Amino acid sequence: MIRLTDSRLERGNTIMNETVNKEYKVRKPISDKVFSVIVVVFLAAFVIITLYPVINTVALSFNDGIDAVRGGIHLWPRKFSMKNYKTVMEMQNIWTGAKITVGRTVIATLTSLFANALLAFVVSRKRFLFKSQLSLFWVITMYVNGGMIPVFLLYKNLGLTGTFHVYWIPGMISAFNMLVMRTYMEGIPESLEESAQLDGAGYWTIFKDIISPLCKPMYATVALFIAVWQWNSWFDAMLYNRMKTEYTTLQYELMKLLSSVMQQSGSAENAKNGAATITPITIRAATTIVTMLPIVCLYPFLQRYFITGLTIGGVKE
Amino acid sequence: MARTKTENRPKIKMSGKELRRQKFLLVVSFFMVAYGVVFYYWPLTGWLMAFQNYKPKKGLLGSKFVGLDKFKFLFEDDVFIKVIRNTFAMGLINLVTTTIMAVLFAIILNEVRRVWIKKPIQTISYLPHFLSWIVVTGILHTSLSSSGIVNEILLKTGLINQAINFFAHPKYFWAIVAFAQNWKETGWNAIIYLAAITAIDPSLYEAASIDGADRLQKIRYITLPGIKPTFLILLLMNVGNVLNAGFEIQYLLGNGLVQSVSQTIDIYVLKWGISQNDYSLGTAAGLFKSAVSILFIVIANEIAKRYSEQRLF
Amino acid sequence: MKKKVLALLLATGVVASMLAACGGSGDTGAAPAADATATADADAADDADEGAGSGEVTNFTMFITMPGSEINDDNEIAQMIADKWGVKVKETWLTGQTASEATGTLIAGGEYPDFIDSDEMNLLVDADALVALDDYIDQYPEFRDKWFTKEEWDKFRQPDGHIYWINPFGNTKGETKQTTHNDEAFWVQVRVLEWAGYPEIKTMDQYFDLLEKYIAENPTMEDGTENIAYTILCEDWRYFCLENAGQFLAGYPNDGSVIVNKSTMTIEDYNTSEDTIQYFKKLNEEYNKGFVDPESFTQTYDEYIAKLSTGRVLGMVDQWWDFAYTVNDSFKQSGLDLKGCNYVPLGLTTKEGMENRWHTYDDTVNQASGIAITTDCQDVDKAFKFLVDCAMDQELHDLRWWGVKGVDYDVDADGLYFRTPEQRQNWADTSYQAKHRCQYSYFPQWHGTSDDGKNANKPEEQPSEFMSDMAEPLKKCFDAYGHTTYPQFIGSVQETNGPWFPMYSFSNNFTTETPGGVAWAKMGECKHEWLPKVVMAKDFDKGWGEYMAAYEACKPEDFIKEMQDILDTFK
Repeated sequence: MIRLTDSRLERGNTIMNETVNKEYKVRKPISDKVFSVIVVVFLAAFVIITLYPVINTVALSFNDGIDAVRGGIHLWPRKFSMKNYKTVMEMQNIWTGAKITVGRTVIATLTSLFANALLAFVVSRKRFLFKSQLSLFWVITMYVNGGMIPVFLLYKNLGLTGTFHVYWIPGMISAFNMLVMRTYMEGIPESLEESAQLDGAGYWTIFKDIISPLCKPMYATVALFIAVWQWNSWFDAMLYNRMKTEYTTLQYELMKLLSSVMQQSGSAENAKNGAATITPITIRAATTIVTMLPIVCLYPFLQRYFITGLTIGGVKE
Repeated sequence: MARTKTENRPKIKMSGKELRRQKFLLVVSFFMVAYGVVFYYWPLTGWLMAFQNYKPKKGLLGSKFVGLDKFKFLFEDDVFIKVIRNTFAMGLINLVTTTIMAVLFAIILNEVRRVWIKKPIQTISYLPHFLSWIVVTGILHTSLSSSGIVNEILLKTGLINQAINFFAHPKYFWAIVAFAQNWKETGWNAIIYLAAITAIDPSLYEAASIDGADRLQKIRYITLPGIKPTFLILLLMNVGNVLNAGFEIQYLLGNGLVQSVSQTIDIYVLKWGISQNDYSLGTAAGLFKSAVSILFIVIANEIAKRYSEQRLF
Repeated sequence: MKKKVLALLLATGVVASMLAACGGSGDTGAAPAADATATADADAADDADEGAGSGEVTNFTMFITMPGSEINDDNEIAQMIADKWGVKVKETWLTGQTASEATGTLIAGGEYPDFIDSDEMNLLVDADALVALDDYIDQYPEFRDKWFTKEEWDKFRQPDGHIYWINPFGNTKGETKQTTHNDEAFWVQVRVLEWAGYPEIKTMDQYFDLLEKYIAENPTMEDGTENIAYTILCEDWRYFCLENAGQFLAGYPNDGSVIVNKSTMTIEDYNTSEDTIQYFKKLNEEYNKGFVDPESFTQTYDEYIAKLSTGRVLGMVDQWWDFAYTVNDSFKQSGLDLKGCNYVPLGLTTKEGMENRWHTYDDTVNQASGIAITTDCQDVDKAFKFLVDCAMDQELHDLRWWGVKGVDYDVDADGLYFRTPEQRQNWADTSYQAKHRCQYSYFPQWHGTSDDGKNANKPEEQPSEFMSDMAEPLKKCFDAYGHTTYPQFIGSVQETNGPWFPMYSFSNNFTTETPGGVAWAKMGECKHEWLPKVVMAKDFDKGWGEYMAAYEACKPEDFIKEMQDILDTFK
């Protein structure tokens, strides 16, 4: 490794790339060394604490059901068993659920990302006459809700209940995602828009060819938010498609298992008659792992849009 | 440098020419508003329930009006006042701690230069987001029990000489909830800040290095200002969510001994609604929450407008 | 290039979405109701087409406002039932909602499954969602006479004089086969009794005395795990393990929310009774001596079960169904049953020589809930016939509860059903249940003896099943006392309960629209917080005094008064 001791060499090096950046570290001040130690300690502690519940769940999912009842399983299964995964995989609706979940995740991510981006584009135009009013209109939607029954009736009257469309049409625009995108778009210099307009570009072209390419990191982030939200949704499946097994979702199937634990109104009468069952903790764990694995894998793909931190993200004015 | 600040420019007046010019924006807005009216504003007719003794069979138009009875019921109950306090306190603690942790984590992760370390750590950090509260609280319960790992460590290091029963004392409850919240969501919440950091012009760091800035200084003068807009917008939005402190986590972690500090508005409504099918009570509580939320964000928005360029609307 | 593809994708997505949205709202805008009926008709058409030619299978749907496990659509026993009785029921269970929310949305939407079992029956009746069953019941006189007595049927009559639902549980046919005590008791491990030479334990004082002595001499188990003398489960609705022992200790049966004094026909509040004070005083004393598990009031149900499963807990109050199945399975697997960790019940009272009523010998009919047929059901005749078949056809009943002969159980030379360990294990296995087992567990069912006069209607009540499961120490304990069933350990008085029994079926239906309902809800809240505090108090009298002040503030007298009004209707 070359030691860059000559400061002139350093100054002369105007091309920014990672290799060179690493070399800077050699000359870093003492405070930076202390800082590095803190970073390492913080991250190490963070990873250990964060990883624990996940590993614990994995360990449980590979443990024998009756044995696990005794508790005391931490990082490794005590009595190894594949039975839980077998049980989960044999659940009849799990494949239907997987299909629907993938379908709704893909469709809703695309449509919702587009709709939110477009709306964010509109309200982030400084020229736009109603930008403040339109923002307020959407901000309010975050804090009000008419309750389950009016919403149910609305969807029913729109013919959304009992269909696949109920998964992606109602939630297409979310004020949260829109505002996050708006903030990012506002950080893009107006000069770009103006010069494009001078060249005769319309707003659609500006949105498509100028703003959107610059917003990739934020698009990736919001896409992830939407995808994960969609993936984890189950309440809509339960409420609007309860009797339609063909539209069940993966998370709904998981919740059926989990909610047997969380009975809000315990009825001793029914429990006594043996009619209320509690799902073994190991099956809960296995189902959790099965449902989270695919979506977790999505992340590394999107990560490249915003993790490197050294790609040219912003635009110099 | 071109004009970048709105303030420097005369306000654009509404005129036929301007409207024509903004045709695209107006058309899009029209559809968006139509969508919003249908899916978000129309169901607000349900708020009528708060002033009724709603019966599902009779529907919104047929149920009996009872005026402010439901609100009276809520505010005349001492417990409800306590419940508002709990909700507000936990909401605020969660808002502050989760924001700090997310920013801290994003900045620290950003300081890691080696991508092969950075990527796995980030992936790991967001895994707990996918565990349900039942799973997370179950693990937390075991870890904090008197024979759990936390007590074991505390005993071994001699910090305490008798195991603490964390869930038996109201004084620990809010801290435990805040911890659980951060445990589960820090990595997830940090994603948005990491995305915001990418928008910072790398040449700024470069220039700072040349000027001899150390890493802390770079964070202070480049990274933090760079994520400020995102930070403020999220903060503004979340201020409105303070009363949505949650339901599941408190429900799963709470018990009789700590119920004076664990009950949130949502739990309260469920408890009272459940025994009487009282949709109206839930709606009244929801209406109250909405009103408070909107009040909060309006105030926060004014403050933000005064001291920075960020605003929600 | 990539960009363009993405943009194109997005654009198509949105266009498609808008079309779909328009299309969707277009149809329904025209006739939302028609659309709803169209789907219903489509379902019904399936049903009707098949149902028309008798012997065809009719598919019904059912919603139960309790969490439960769904079975597969191609479940084997469900198919056998469909082949023979012409009915297949698709059951859906409560998920992530409360019963009243779920029922409320059903009513608001105005579409119902064919069968429903809800905790909110009154709401459904109000909404005209249920079919009056009186005429149908009269069509099956045999069922009518056998299932309930006339008085019992009358309890189900609504103010309009009709019967809308039938409680499927708690009915005994023929001789009772009950071998377990499926209810609440003070439980104690057989190793404790063995150590003490199988003494007679009749009072609460003797019970705790025994636990104290045992633990003084045996602080740990063989493997070094510390024994816990007594633990209390206190999570959410399961806090009955702490709350209601007072009524039993005073010698009353499980009316749940109140005590009924039969001689004066008055309602008494057990929360403030002398026996209850004594009970909590004792718990407080034991707690301060360190014999009550300090985690009692904070443990979750999972933690409690885990604790019991390690075999270290000597005793507790609980209902059998709440712990025994899981814990006994775990004991068997870990071999702790051979170390005498199994529990037997004790029928304790506060003073010696008192009668106890921990075990109820006659049927408990809860008129507050049950199975109903909704107005959306296209073939009420067939639906009701199936309901009757469930109750009256022994073959169907055996198929539901025992399974398939030769597969799930075998028959010995005397005609008695028995199961091999493997069969028993299958029956309890989650994935086997989904594929094979079909209990239709919210349809009518019997306890007691089968029509063949030999077998129990439910496997868990079959004597051979019961005996074959017993580990040596447990058997020794039974022999030492000369008992053959669990209820004999309790030694309850055998008597018929009043027609009002159990009173909790009334209090469970209280709403906060009446002062009594408000008081009832507040009392529950108050007890949840204060009872643990009372047990943990350094000074019991002071703690109890504070609790009583908080309790009185809930106006329990309003609640008692309304319960008295109900009881008065039985005078």
